[in-house]
Amino acid sequence: MLDKSIQEIHEALKNKMIKPIDLVEEAFDRIEKNKELNAYITLNKEEAIKRAKELENKEVGNNLLFGLPIAVKDNIITKNLKTTCASHILENFIPIYNATVIEKINDNDMIIIGKTNMDEFAMGSSSRTSYFGAPKNPWNKEKISGGSSGGSATTIAAKDVLFALGTDTGGSIRQPASYTGIVGMKPTYGRVSRYGLVAFASSLDQIGPMTRNVYENALLLNIITGADEKDLTSADKESEDFTRLIGKDIKGMKIALPNYFMSDIVTKEIRTEVEKAKKILEENGATVDYIDMKYLDKVVILYQIISMGEASSNLARFDGIRYGYSIENPKNIEDLYLETRKNGFGKEVKRRIMVGSYLLSGENAKIYYNKALSIRDDIKKEFDKVFKNYDLIIGPTTTTTAYDLTDSMDDPSKSFMDDVLVIPVNMAGLPGLSLPIGFGKNHMPIGLHIIGNSFDESTIYQLASFLEKQVNLDLDPRKDDKNV
Amino acid sequence: MKNKLTKEEVLHVAHLARIKIDEGEIEKYQIELEKLLNDVDKIKEVEGYDEEKMIAPWTKNTITREDKSGEMLNPKEVLKNAPRHSGNYIEVPIVISDGEEA
Repeated sequence: MLDKSIQEIHEALKNKMIKPIDLVEEAFDRIEKNKELNAYITLNKEEAIKRAKELENKEVGNNLLFGLPIAVKDNIITKNLKTTCASHILENFIPIYNATVIEKINDNDMIIIGKTNMDEFAMGSSSRTSYFGAPKNPWNKEKISGGSSGGSATTIAAKDVLFALGTDTGGSIRQPASYTGIVGMKPTYGRVSRYGLVAFASSLDQIGPMTRNVYENALLLNIITGADEKDLTSADKESEDFTRLIGKDIKGMKIALPNYFMSDIVTKEIRTEVEKAKKILEENGATVDYIDMKYLDKVVILYQIISMGEASSNLARFDGIRYGYSIENPKNIEDLYLETRKNGFGKEVKRRIMVGSYLLSGENAKIYYNKALSIRDDIKKEFDKVFKNYDLIIGPTTTTTAYDLTDSMDDPSKSFMDDVLVIPVNMAGLPGLSLPIGFGKNHMPIGLHIIGNSFDESTIYQLASFLEKQVNLDLDPRKDDKNV
Repeated sequence: MKNKLTKEEVLHVAHLARIKIDEGEIEKYQIELEKLLNDVDKIKEVEGYDEEKMIAPWTKNTITREDKSGEMLNPKEVLKNAPRHSGNYIEVPIVISDGEEA
């Protein structure tokens, strides 16, 4: 049933041909079969079954998402359901309240099926910093699924479930989406409440939908947005129907393609696929212009400073006192902090907290963090300029396709460089989506990155759904028997 | 940033972060932290920084809420996650010790 279109599933539920419990059981069967992919840290089996049964007494109505299973990244807190952030320090942490997005999912009668694997505290680009081991790419189990939302990307690509939530601080939804051939959207900063999202870099973090297609992505975004008085950075914007432009033609649309995104930092096979997409757009009445943009080659530095700085401050709360892992018999409080954090955090996280602490200490705050924020503001203005003349910006999502799980992790800059094409969007707070547009060598997926103006997710979906229809890819890794 | 981070500098940074590092790890951190600090140092080459500019991460469309009291979390629930607690209190080890090495 889970391979059918959302409309078919909805009709079947409405006509009582199937019940939510059938979908839940099918999802757990698939997850069990794909266990080797290591997409989940915790399954919510008992509670999901209970909830599915409760929903049997409820009207399906016109809610297309009714009764559908959803996977949630493990840095979004869920009441009474273990939330680890893929870290030893939170290995046994059971939250006592729900994130706002979780309340919204429950209110819309979706069923949480489990918590997905990720890089520890979302710090990484391959999900290999997870305390629970890395998830594997359903297209080739020797490859990474990307990160940090690698588990959510894996479970969608493997067709376990139709819906997942990820989070994106510097590309963590879009990059794994590209590596696994699914659709991932990072909404405008402020579109979705961050209340209950375990903070990594507060001025960049955003929750967003990861799905098998564009339409379902927009449907999920519809229910998770909105101002929230528990997150004062959430935006005061009316809710809207993000599916409303899907299916509209793109004639007259003006699209920009920054030269930097097509430079030799990107492999030839990926540039070729982007060129093909460009041609399709032009053949259908859109214009695509190559443009120059300032600062794009500087974003990784800014991202490193801002994200490590904010992380060092946010992760100070893990002190072994109020929750989480704590050492036995500390001599005194200093000993408790030092030893708990030494044993509780993994290598990557420790490194980033250390550098971040240094960057924010004393005069350094001015030299590094303040300057980074100031240049970030200039980047935002640079994007504003482009959006005066263009509706959307496109480019590749990643510089290569998914690499091997066994590739070296020795270079501490590598995980940042992996995200060079997606970070500008976080810097400017803009919405961005990755859409599968083709395959590279060894049949690994390639994604197109579509960037919109602030709060203009709908136009992104319009273009994405148009292209999705045109390229019409077969995105089922199960068809190749080497795979799932 | 200098070319190579000294042992003392590594220990200083680790102390700022309240993370203990063992003697045997120092050399590894000298290399890794130096790499990252060299990366971020490149910001010094970027021109056009206006120190006087007011910066807030995001100011557009943000919201405010009324200053009124709401529901509070149940202390018993909160304490479930605390590693050490007693009654309605979270326990902490000695904060100020009596002349002993802290």
